Amino acid sequence: MITENLRAGDLAIEVVQAAPAGSLRLLWTGRSGDRNPHLILGPYFEQVLASAAAQRASLELRFEKLDHFNSSTVATIIQLIQDARQRDIKLAIVYDARLRWQKLSFDALRVFVAADGLLELRSVEEAP
Amino acid sequence: MNRPFSFMIDLPVRNDWANVDLLRTSILNCFTATFHDMDGCHSLAMVAGELLENAIKYGDWKDGERALRLRVWGDAAWAKVQVDSPVQPDSPSLGALNDAITWLDAYPSAEDAYRARLLAVAARPLAEGGGKLGIARIAYEGNCKLKAEVKGDLLSVTSHMTF
Repeated sequence: MITENLRAGDLAIEVVQAAPAGSLRLLWTGRSGDRNPHLILGPYFEQVLASAAAQRASLELRFEKLDHFNSSTVATIIQLIQDARQRDIKLAIVYDARLRWQKLSFDALRVFVAADGLLELRSVEEAP
Repeated sequence: MNRPFSFMIDLPVRNDWANVDLLRTSILNCFTATFHDMDGCHSLAMVAGELLENAIKYGDWKDGERALRLRVWGDAAWAKVQVDSPVQPDSPSLGALNDAITWLDAYPSAEDAYRARLLAVAARPLAEGGGKLGIARIAYEGNCKLKAEVKGDLLSVTSHMTF
């Protein structure tokens, strides 16, 4: 069960079955500036989480090629972090710390890192 | 004769969500042509985008003829981004905006405030919106001080960024 790619306005999310096996990689490109991004991304993330749970796969969200997201998209990503944790799905968020906006945005999300090890944030320079 | 370095963008904007990204990317392009600091250009564009989004979401658009106004001005040391929008002076969203700015100012740093706001967003249903996350983001990522003023039925929200 592989989740389909998403294209919504200027945002594209490509799903790649990544090595090592057992990891679903979501490559974000473009811009996410919808007024209500949760209406599009929410159902899509549900599908992604269901797919990851069925495959016992972890998720890797890669943002390093993303040009911009609005604060409403940040709220939607927070929901995904919570939903993944609730289902015991390991989630890695990869960003480009050389871009100040990405460093600031994603460093702040470390407030959601917990001792359960289910959420990891790392810059693309450190990513495998 | 050398003129002092300064810049100014000042234009009316139709109340249309698609204009947020058009203007955000236009500002990014304009300032990329002016400054070397790409990160600073991205911050300015993000601030304009978040302010425009708020103005469209919470403005009083019963009169379809009214428009937003966007101003971006400054010099080599600072920049201001201001968005004017029609508002009902007794609107709950206006009170929420003022509360959010007061709440921000009470934190020792914008980073602390933003992180607290992320946790608050996590604790509420997504359908209720971001709970002024955009305002906290402007202060944190944009390194801005925010001010809101109402004159009659016009709300001006101004962010002040120093380089």
